[in-house]
Amino acid sequence: MLLSLLIFLPLVYALIVMALPARFSRPVSLALSGLHFVFSLVLLARFDVTTADLQFVEQMDWVKSFGISYFVGIDGISLWLVMLTTFLTPLTILGSWTAITDKVKGFHVAMLALEATMIGTFLAMDAVLFYVFFEASLIPMYFMIGIWGGARRIYATVKFFIYTMFGSLFMLVALIALMFMTQEMLGGQMSASILDFYKLEIPFVAGQFLNSQTLLFFAFALAFAIKVPMFPFHTWLPDAHVEAPTPGSVILAGVMLKMGTYGFMRLGLPLFPEAVEYWSWLFMLLAVVGIIYGALVAMVQPDIKKLVAYSSVSHMGYVVLGLFAFNAYGLTGGLYQMLNHGISTGALFLMVGMIYERTHSREISQYGGLAKAAPWYTILFVIVTMSSIAVPMTNGFIGEFLILLGGFEANPIFGAMAVLGVVLGASYMLWMVKRVFFGGEGEIVTKYKSAGLDLNIREAVVMAPLIVLIFWMGIFPNHFLRGSKASLEHLEKNMRTYELGIHNPSQKDQSEKYSMAEERGE
Amino acid sequence: MSTQFEMLDLLLVSPAIALFLASLIPLAIKVLRGNTESNSVATIMYGLVGVVTAMVLTLANYGIDKVAFQGALRFDGLSFWMQMVVLVVAAVTLILSRDNPATNNRLFSEYVFLLLNSLVGMMIVAWSNDLMSLFIGIETMSLCLYILIALSSEPRKSKEAAFKYFVLGSFASAIMLYGISFIYGTVGSTYIQDITQVSIQLMNTNRLFLFGVVLTILGLCFKVSVFPFHSWTPDVYQGAPTPLTAFMSTGVKAVSLAFFLRFIAMEVIVSERAILLMNALEWLAAFTILAGNIAAIMQDNLKRMLAYSSVAHSGYVMMGILAAGVGGESILGASGVVFYIVAYTIMTLGAFGILVLFEKRAESSLEVSDLSGLGARNPWAAACITIFMLSLAGIPPTVGFFGKLFIFSAAVKQGFFWLAVWGVIGSVISVYYYLRPIVTMYMQNDEGASVLQTKGLTRLAISVLAISVIVFGFIAESIYSTVTSDLASLFF
Repeated sequence: MLLSLLIFLPLVYALIVMALPARFSRPVSLALSGLHFVFSLVLLARFDVTTADLQFVEQMDWVKSFGISYFVGIDGISLWLVMLTTFLTPLTILGSWTAITDKVKGFHVAMLALEATMIGTFLAMDAVLFYVFFEASLIPMYFMIGIWGGARRIYATVKFFIYTMFGSLFMLVALIALMFMTQEMLGGQMSASILDFYKLEIPFVAGQFLNSQTLLFFAFALAFAIKVPMFPFHTWLPDAHVEAPTPGSVILAGVMLKMGTYGFMRLGLPLFPEAVEYWSWLFMLLAVVGIIYGALVAMVQPDIKKLVAYSSVSHMGYVVLGLFAFNAYGLTGGLYQMLNHGISTGALFLMVGMIYERTHSREISQYGGLAKAAPWYTILFVIVTMSSIAVPMTNGFIGEFLILLGGFEANPIFGAMAVLGVVLGASYMLWMVKRVFFGGEGEIVTKYKSAGLDLNIREAVVMAPLIVLIFWMGIFPNHFLRGSKASLEHLEKNMRTYELGIHNPSQKDQSEKYSMAEERGE
Repeated sequence: MSTQFEMLDLLLVSPAIALFLASLIPLAIKVLRGNTESNSVATIMYGLVGVVTAMVLTLANYGIDKVAFQGALRFDGLSFWMQMVVLVVAAVTLILSRDNPATNNRLFSEYVFLLLNSLVGMMIVAWSNDLMSLFIGIETMSLCLYILIALSSEPRKSKEAAFKYFVLGSFASAIMLYGISFIYGTVGSTYIQDITQVSIQLMNTNRLFLFGVVLTILGLCFKVSVFPFHSWTPDVYQGAPTPLTAFMSTGVKAVSLAFFLRFIAMEVIVSERAILLMNALEWLAAFTILAGNIAAIMQDNLKRMLAYSSVAHSGYVMMGILAAGVGGESILGASGVVFYIVAYTIMTLGAFGILVLFEKRAESSLEVSDLSGLGARNPWAAACITIFMLSLAGIPPTVGFFGKLFIFSAAVKQGFFWLAVWGVIGSVISVYYYLRPIVTMYMQNDEGASVLQTKGLTRLAISVLAISVIVFGFIAESIYSTVTSDLASLFF
């Protein structure tokens, strides 16, 4: 019941918000989503870190003749992504307190529905259920960008929707093909369970494109590459981010992009091991190109938000590089970098939104000298920048360092090129910070200085947990990594023969809960 | 040949008899009252009584597999489902027609009479197990429709549509009849079961039989508007009064596709000689999907856009029909087709139906831009349109998604992998134009020209359809497995 509640309670919250008058929308959805975060902490406390098997499994027939079931479960790979979702949602709602003034009720309903579909995506262990949540999450985001977005919002949102849908429909065809393969394997009964998919041995011919494993792999990879987004499928992202309202950008960058990399980890890598091994050069190459290209394009952006958007392309490139390096460092770093990116880019978008609310400008050239006018804002922004450019002691360092280690181990050339990306990343972020916060006072700062540009208490409250996490994750990565360790090791060791079992909670003596470790002060 | 028939035969066709008798009531009343139109609510009530009676009689015959009239009509799972579909379509159409100024005019009693008789024709098509009764059914259905369209109070476009439909429809019927005559000439019978026994062998040896089959399929392709025989669809669907557009795009299509399924289930395209025919049909399906979707992108008129979208949907169903026609696991294709028809009927009926509410005058026509700001002005209508559009686009968890899932599954399983890919590409294109009304309603704030009429019955019907789109998505499995077991007897 725990996981189902985690998925569907936000929908109940959405109904509650819908039923109440609009003036209650903000506080009620903040309180409920906050409550939901506490609820997800219960899950974290009861999560058994020693096993790579699925926990809290629920399974129920849905479309029996096709073997489709309502099948949810959680392991170390999805654990932190779920936590990230429940963590970012209340912060985003609080962060958009004054940014969203129009159709407030509809916005919060969309937000909560989005939370439900995102959690569902990370917990679904049935391929069709996964697809359903993966697609359904598009709808609230589509409305969020299209209704509350900027001037070119309609172009951006339609592009976002169609682009993503394009990829995922190919995944649907591949899913169907896999379902029929399970039918042959299981002798008559079809199954859409991802656990059954893992047992398949899909024929692979090296060096050819037209064989089942390669084709299926590319069908999945297209869906995920668009979602991540990997170069050259990234063009929807800058549009969507620039036009999206601040909370939309935060959730889009913070969580939705991770659906793509999560998809690679859950389906892409373990299902098609030979194809992954054979084609990993292509994905690592595209990842590295994305890292460098994203950084170079970010460098020349005149708009802060667009700069952050392109930095996402670059950062998600690291994640893909780590995953396709497919060694312990790369996978761990990839997963960690997903969380880092969620937190630091989420924080960056929030902060860009905060200043935009006051000045209605995101042009870098109009700023300058903001440090004097808004000292607290500057301090926090610089901390987040440090996290984004992977300065030691911040979370970004751990993720990128592990990925680079993994990258070098897999292919030194790609590793070296990715390091170049780190340098470029530091330069565009720091250059932006220099132009916005230091130097002579820009016109817009002069204009709005008297109105007060610094953070207010609400905004400080939004940023505080993010800043704490940046350091916590940077200094004590093990607090977080131990939850995923068993699953990642299992994935790395059994690449060719990856299978997932279902955890049997009766063997209590062996299990080690998250809460125990924290009591020991580890 | 004996012309006797048994009592049981009459029981089996009782739904059609009930409909015919009910259709006489409004006409008789009008004559008795001295040619004055009675209350339109009463008029549709007579029709609805007929439809409900027919529904009850249909349900009473559920689960049988019998032939009647020496094998000319067949009552099995397929015909049961199609009967239910067309009866629901007719019930909704009656309600829509009453609330539409183009159809509710001084000839409304005649309108209801013709509508119910067109329905009788559809029932015959759904039952037909014989090419001749098929032809009679199609003609009954179509002739009533030609007049129905022309009865519209809209003076220009509807007449043009009626005439176009009449000329092209007759042309297609003639082609089909020509084909049937070749089949009769080579097989010596027009009964499906007789043709099935010899079809594979004749296909390989007799060119005339092949010729007949091809011509019959072409005639059917016209009826279900498959590319390149679809060009009448947008004009006729746009020109016809909206309730009739809903009726044609769902009812006519459903029974024609069902017969197509019955025809293809004779395994006429299984043999080696038919490879070319099968490839041609594959390409027609792919082109139908692409042509419908691409043309729909360019439409500003909602009715015309939905007309093109219905062409595209025929293409998806064709995928399923082909999957049902190549042997092996044909049942997957057949149940996919029937499920898709059910899903398509619900969502298309709703999408056309809601347009009725915007039509204040007989000449009204709704452009996409008229919808702008509807999300704020009328949340109910905007939500309904959104649900129908998302379902038509196949976004989960609506019924449209499961329809596509089952059809694509059948296609992949039966080896039409590339066809499935074309279907996917078509779906992506379709998302663009299905999103346009949603964008306009919610994301553009200027006041559009659309004014919603307060028509209680229509609103009720639309709400029920919108809820069904969601609910049927969740109970997709039970429907699908029922369909599968009901269709088992379709393949010999």
